This record gives sequence, structure tokens and C-alpha cells, in this order.
Amino acid sequence: MKRTIGWLVWAAVSAVAAVALGAVALHRGEGINSMWLVLAAACTFAVGYRFYGKFIAARVMALDDRRATPAERLRDGMDFEPTNKWILFGQHFAAIAGPGPLVGPVLAAQFGYLPGTLWIIAGAVLGGAVQDFTILFASMRRDGKSLGEMAREEIGRLGGFTAMVTVLLILIILQATVALVVVNALKGSPWGTFTVAATMPIALFMGLYLRHMRPGKVLECSLIGFALVVAAIFGGQAVSQSAALAPVFTLTGTGLAVAIILYGFVGSTLPVWLLLAPRGYLSTFVKLGVILLLAVGILAVRPGLQLPALTRFTDGTGPIFGGKVFPFCFITIACGAISGFHSLISSGTTPKMIARESHALPIGYGSMLLEGFVALMAMIAASVMEPGVYFAVNSPAGVVGATPAAAVATISSWGFPVTAAGMASLARTVGERTLFFRTGGAPSLALGMAHIFARAGGRALLGFWYHFAIMFEALFILTLIDAGTRVGRFMLQDMLGHVSKPLGRTNWMPGVIGTSAAIVAAWGYFLYQGVRDPLGGINTLWPLFGISNQLLAAVALSVATTILIKMHRARYVWITGIPLAWLLVVTFTAGWQKIFSPLAHVGLLAQAGELGARLQTGALSAAQAAETRRLIFNARLDAVVCGVFLVLVATILIDSIRVWTGILRGTRPARLNEAPFVETQLDPEGL
Amino acid sequence: MKPLKKLGALVWALLRELADESAYRRHLAAHGRSHSAAEWRRFSDERLRARYTRPKCC
Repeated sequence: MKRTIGWLVWAAVSAVAAVALGAVALHRGEGINSMWLVLAAACTFAVGYRFYGKFIAARVMALDDRRATPAERLRDGMDFEPTNKWILFGQHFAAIAGPGPLVGPVLAAQFGYLPGTLWIIAGAVLGGAVQDFTILFASMRRDGKSLGEMAREEIGRLGGFTAMVTVLLILIILQATVALVVVNALKGSPWGTFTVAATMPIALFMGLYLRHMRPGKVLECSLIGFALVVAAIFGGQAVSQSAALAPVFTLTGTGLAVAIILYGFVGSTLPVWLLLAPRGYLSTFVKLGVILLLAVGILAVRPGLQLPALTRFTDGTGPIFGGKVFPFCFITIACGAISGFHSLISSGTTPKMIARESHALPIGYGSMLLEGFVALMAMIAASVMEPGVYFAVNSPAGVVGATPAAAVATISSWGFPVTAAGMASLARTVGERTLFFRTGGAPSLALGMAHIFARAGGRALLGFWYHFAIMFEALFILTLIDAGTRVGRFMLQDMLGHVSKPLGRTNWMPGVIGTSAAIVAAWGYFLYQGVRDPLGGINTLWPLFGISNQLLAAVALSVATTILIKMHRARYVWITGIPLAWLLVVTFTAGWQKIFSPLAHVGLLAQAGELGARLQTGALSAAQAAETRRLIFNARLDAVVCGVFLVLVATILIDSIRVWTGILRGTRPARLNEAPFVETQLDPEGL
Repeated sequence: MKPLKKLGALVWALLRELADESAYRRHLAAHGRSHSAAEWRRFSDERLRARYTRPKCC
């Protein structure tokens, strides 16, 4: 009887999922309510978890709770520690949720809400969650080994080395891209700049408080830090209204880029406890709090979507970034659907803390589905704005025209009416001078979030909520930058240590400073070129980041497929094989188009060629000619970077195929590198 | 009331885990030490050294 009721409930959930997905996909004309999206995602994720996730856990991985996990076998009270599954679920989710699932959907909304929403739902269930779950499982069976180590052991030395180089390159592009998002959010905004700048002394104070005044009281210290940050938001409003202080905090894009580059260098060389750690704690709590707040806000307000399901820009002529909905929607939304970076987290701290093998399902598969929800909320936040406002904020001056009058004329001609007076009024309401040309996704996400929060808590607070959202985004992006620079430095030192021993030592100051400078210079260069790009920079950097992130996912899925074949589960190889094939098609198509498309707004070489032709007319001034030469060089450099990514992943893939065919033909031993079975001694009722 | 209490306890435990306070408590128990400023610094340095050599997610 109970079983029958269970099946009936799941049949009903599946039916609701189908109806909601149908409503989202087929609705045209009047705006649809955001609850349809929430319902479609919630029911699909529930069905995916219950049936697909459990199928993989039981049939493919054969998770065994009698088997002791590394957390039990290698327990050290620090890294290896059996942890309650819901606590670990929260910790893993906090680690995988970054700016990606928030910014990507906002940018992809240029195609309308439909393509991105469907990709988030399908991608998370069939791709992202599968990748996170399989890598977590593989690492858990290998004493918590990293993705690079598993690639080396399961595929070969070449695969391992290539994976490490790929990660380093991705880190560089990632830092530049997210730094550009912050620059574009703070450009010409004294309120935002002051608030974000104030988080630095606040973090230093927190570091000293935690080290010397109240050692160990991290929660207490973070609460004080949060109160100070909220005070800084109000202080920022006062600064923006002060004739003396406002100019000091009104910075150009270049000024902000230089400030962030300096911050990245200093942050990565200072002792971790002083700046990085307190910022990291604060950022984690604020991030989780705001995500929860946004979820509550959307459920309370149930806003209607203003953006159409599909826009005319599915044809590839979008102002935010060039390229058709296929493949570019699928690389623009990486985190939230499938993100290669998650494989680094799934093979990092989490596998060392899992108490039972069966916990890998909610933690690996379930956390990714929750991240899909975060991406969906970002899509909703972008879609609740009037389309004209959305495009006015996100379109670069180089596409829509350099003045507000020109921009509104261009955007209105696309069928998305917007007025300069309306934009000016909106900017005044949120305490900004202008909201035109604020590319990068963060300002429009902040506007959407502020719109939802203000409807729940009064329109008078719109300015506060806008800057709260900007602070929230900048806070954890800067955390990503300082920590990423440090990690990049370690990786570089690790590589250089093979050439010169002192360079590999993390306590040799000349080596530390030199390698930090090299990493900062690498991402700083891409950031600088993005800031100076007349098309806003994000149109090039975000697709590059998306391609690289998805290629890392392809590396992770190659490793997972190799492991499945070695486990004699070749008949289930489609589980990782289908998302892998999809990612390869998407990323190689996008990469190829980014390099070789004859359309200048898509292809980097075509863009360089068009600029070269302009140069050859001789009609440019000396300054313009120098600028054009720089743009040509940058376009070619980006094309080379994109090509390098493709070659690196092709190398790993070919190496993997060699291993797969060898095992399947019987010419190569299917030697698994799993830790031996040890029976658990943990209390089955505990944890 | 009981489920709410349970949820509250879980959230509190999660916050303490994210703040490394639980890990510190385990560290003290595992090594048979008591809390002091120097002990926290020792624990924190070791913990942060490991954490900040791993990439953070985007």
C-alpha cells in the first residue's frame, strides 16, 4: 500500500514537472509568472534526484555503506573527519556556489528566459550533478585524491600534467573575467566603490580581532564584520552625496582595474589570517544568507517575468555577446548547469569528510541541483526587469551608441522601449549617476534583486538593496580573486620548482613575490584589455571563461568515464559519456566559432582582420591607430588562448580514448586505483 | 516545535563548521589540548595553509 502511494506521489510530481515545463516552453505573449519556472525546476530536480541520482548510486557506483570512507580510515580530526551529511551538504554547497551561477544566467538572458532556463534544468540533472557526483565518488574511493592526481593515475602522466596546466590557465581567465565584472559594477559609482573599499579595513580588523583579541571566535567576529559592512553601505550613501568625498571614490574603469590588480598582489602575499581568511568567512556567510533571502523574496513576491521567452538575439546578433543561442547559451551558463570547477571541489575537502558512501548522493548530486536553483533565481532576477532596461544596462556603448539618447534609440528600435528619462530616474532611485553601459551582469543582477527585495520590503529601500547586492557580489568575487591568485602562485611555484628548487619553496620571499607578480600580471593583462575594450570586454572574456570551464568539465567527465570502464561498468558509460559528448560538441563548436567565425562580432580573427582593414585605410589618427593595433593584438592573443584550451582538452581526450579502447579490447589491464575495502566501525545510527 | 529545534541545531552546527569552530574543537579533543590563543593560531595556520592551496569555485 505504502509503495503504491509512493509511486502515485512520484507520478504526480512527474506530471507537475511536465505541465510546468510545457507551460514555460510554450507560453508566448503576456509575461509568465516566475513560479512556473520554480515549479518546473523543483519537480524536475526532485524526479531527477529520486530516480536518476539513485539509479547511478545503486546500479553504477554500487555505493556501499559497509565500506569505511577515508574520513573514518584516515581520521585526523582536521581534514579527514566523518561529518553529518546535512552539515557537509551545506559546506559543499557553500564551496561550489560562486559568482558564476549568478552572472552567467543574467548574461544569457539576452536570448530570453527560455533557453537558459531549459539548459539550467536539463544540464544540472543530466550533466552537472552527474559530474559532481561521479568525481566525488571517485575521489572518495581514492582517499580524497584531487582531479589532477586521479587523471594521472587513471589516464596517464600526460593526462595529469595537461589537467594541471588547464586548471592554471582557467584560473587566469577566471580571475580576469570576474575582476572585470567588479570593475564594471563599480565604475563611476562612489557609493559602491566606498562600500567595497570599506570591506578591506573591515577584513583587516576582523583578522586582527580573530588572531589577537578573541582567538577562535569566528562566528562572533563574522557577525561584527557583517554589521560593519552594513554600516559601510549606509556610509557609502553619505559619501556619494558628499561634494568632497564623492570624487575621491568615483573611479574610472582603468583606475579600478589597477586597484584590483594591486589588491590581488597584496592579498596573495599577505599572511592568510590577516585578510583572506576573515574575508572568506564573511563572504561565505553573506553568500548563503543572500541566496536564502533571494529565494524567500522570490517566493514571497512571485514576480512576473517581463523578458520574453525568446528574443531576436537567438540569431547571434546580441549586444551583450555575439553568437547564436547554440552553442553560446550553453557556455555562457556554466556554473548552474555544469561547471568543471566543481570537480576540483568534489575532489578537494568534501570526499575527506563523508561519513558514509551513500551520503555522496545528496552531497554530490543534491548540492548541484541546489546550485541549479541559484542559477534559476538569477535568471528570474534578470527577467523581472523591463527588457529595455535590461539591455540598456548590459549593452556596451560600442554597440548601442555612446550617449544615452543614442542607446535608447537603438534599444527601442529592437522592440524593447526604454527612455533616457526613465533610466535617469531609475539611476537616481538606486543612488547611481547612470545605469547605461554597465556591462558584466552584476549591476543588472543587483537591480533585479533590489526590485524583488524592495517589493517585499518597501521601494524606499531600493538604493540600499541595490548596493547591498553589489557589495555581496563584489565581496565574494574579490575573495575569489585573492584566493585564486594565491592558488595560481602555488601551482606556478610547483611547476617552477622542477626547474629551480628555491622557486618551488613557498617560504622564499623572492620566489613568492616573483610568482605572485607573474600570476597577477597574467590575469591583470586580460582584465586591462577587457576594461579598454570598446565592446565592454565581457563579450570576449565571458565566452573564453565559459569555454575553459566547460572544457575542464570535459576533462573531469573523461576521468569519470575512464573509471567507469575500469570498474567494468562499460554498459553504463552513457551516464558520463552523453554529457561529455554534449560538452565536446558545444565547447569545440563555440571555440571554433570564437576563433574562426567570419563574423567580426563573433570570430576573434575576423575581428582582428576588420580592425586591420580599418588601419590600412589610413584614416585613423596616430592615437587611434595605436589603439587599433593594441586591439588587433588582443583579439589574436584571445584566439590563441582559446586554441590552447581546445588543444589541451583534445590531448586529454585522445589519451583517454587510448586507455578506453585498450581496456575494452583487453590489451590494457583495467587496474583500478581504489583504496582497499575496510569494513566500517561507525555506529550505523550516528551521523 | 521539535522539528524546528532540530533544524535550528543543524543550522547552528553548519555555521560552526563553516566557521571552523567545530574543526577547532575536534583538533583540541584529538590532541588532548585546551583552548589558548597560541593553540588557535597553530590550528588556524595549519588549516588555512591547506585551504588556500586549493582553488575556490567560480
